[in-house]
Amino acid sequence: MSQALIDAIAEMEDEKAVRLAGELLGGGESPLAILDDCKAGMAVVGDRFERGEYFVPELILAGEMLKQISDIVKPHLTQGGDAPKLGKVVLGTVAGDIHDIGKDIVNFMLDVNGFEVHDLGVDVSIDRFVEAVRTERPDVVALSGFLTLSYDAMRDTVAALDQAGVRSGVKIMIGGGTVDDGVRTFAGADAYGLNAMDAVNLAKGWVGAN
Amino acid sequence: MTFQIIAEKINGTRKSVQAAVVGRDQAFIEDLARRQAEAGATWIDVNAGTSPEREPDDLVWLVQTVQAVVDQPLSIDTANPKALRAALAAVAKTPLVNSISGERSRIEGVLPQAAEAGSPVVALALDDAGIPATTEARMEVIRRLVDLTRASGIPDGRVYVDPLVMTISTNVQSANTALATMRAVRDEFPECHMTSGLSNVSFGLPARALVNRTYLTLAVEAGLDSAILDPLDRELRASLLATELLLGRDRHCLAYTRAFRAGLIGPVPAAPAKTPV
Repeated sequence: MSQALIDAIAEMEDEKAVRLAGELLGGGESPLAILDDCKAGMAVVGDRFERGEYFVPELILAGEMLKQISDIVKPHLTQGGDAPKLGKVVLGTVAGDIHDIGKDIVNFMLDVNGFEVHDLGVDVSIDRFVEAVRTERPDVVALSGFLTLSYDAMRDTVAALDQAGVRSGVKIMIGGGTVDDGVRTFAGADAYGLNAMDAVNLAKGWVGAN
Repeated sequence: MTFQIIAEKINGTRKSVQAAVVGRDQAFIEDLARRQAEAGATWIDVNAGTSPEREPDDLVWLVQTVQAVVDQPLSIDTANPKALRAALAAVAKTPLVNSISGERSRIEGVLPQAAEAGSPVVALALDDAGIPATTEARMEVIRRLVDLTRASGIPDGRVYVDPLVMTISTNVQSANTALATMRAVRDEFPECHMTSGLSNVSFGLPARALVNRTYLTLAVEAGLDSAILDPLDRELRASLLATELLLGRDRHCLAYTRAFRAGLIGPVPAAPAKTPV
């Protein structure tokens, strides 16, 4: 374990973090150990975000560091290919709504935290969600929406997954500017999140990765 | 033409307002309306923020409640054609329609109603493909929108183009893109107004009010002549007065000095001294 690498990520020293990862790799450190350090660094960042010490720009930069370091390290993984994913998420902004800022941050944070994310984009029809759940068999479906109009689309999407017989196989989270537990109940979702870290924590909890 | 303030506080996406709408708390809404009007609102925005089935009733209740206590015209803030129709039937004065965009649903469901009512409209620079990333792509959407408003008989002087500023926390060029769009609109459609919300830009950051009001200053220089904002925010109002002063739009600096004499800017007047106990 390299405390220096963990600290560099936690303190937002991106150039130093990438350099350290390269040096560790050159010195014979195992690629998996380096990725574990990244995870530990990300955990510190996530923790500081939840305490209100860090903000969205720090989350994004931490993700960028993780991506860059993964790109350096991956070719050296002995099995080749990627580390196993924690789980699969189908994500999209529901029909009638085209807000994507929050959804894109959620996509990014799930991705860098080890999930395979299928982002269906914005204004995603109910049929496309059903189709994606049928073909991708995700662990988690994440429905995003900012407009109050989107609550109906969330409810209808959940109902359609139920009718298609695939509801019980997935956990459903909703997110967006104004969701709360009332909207969660209305939509028939399993949980709601207020920010990208909530989405990561919910997804990790559901796949038993916490 | 002075800067137009579209007062934002009566918005059902805020929890306290939503509770007041659902619970029909008339006094709460009246108070927000009066305070915003006294603070210099040009338009009072009303957004019910409730589910589509109940939004028409809720919006009509807001319209009636607000216009009973203030003289300012309203800004009807909805994407729901049914709610808009109900609200337009209930208004006492021609309202601003907030908003249309290049999205098919709004062109079909909102624009004809605004044209028929003779209302000015807020036109958002986005379409069914989302919010364009570049200034040039946003201008293409804006050109199509202005074509549509003209074809509907709405003169440019009644169109409030919103170039849509995105959050700076995920892309540090976001404000530059919006500002460049404003300059392009000013050159190409000089009769159109421009408006903007202020809070998107600071999403995900601390001390957001500082970022919001600095963005407002830059945007006013780039041509913004209206904004959707909280007129009760003392520092924001002060910032706006100083900006217009510095841009040579405040004749003899009188708006600024009057605001100072009225205690609206500068040091907060000291509270009366308390007698020691």
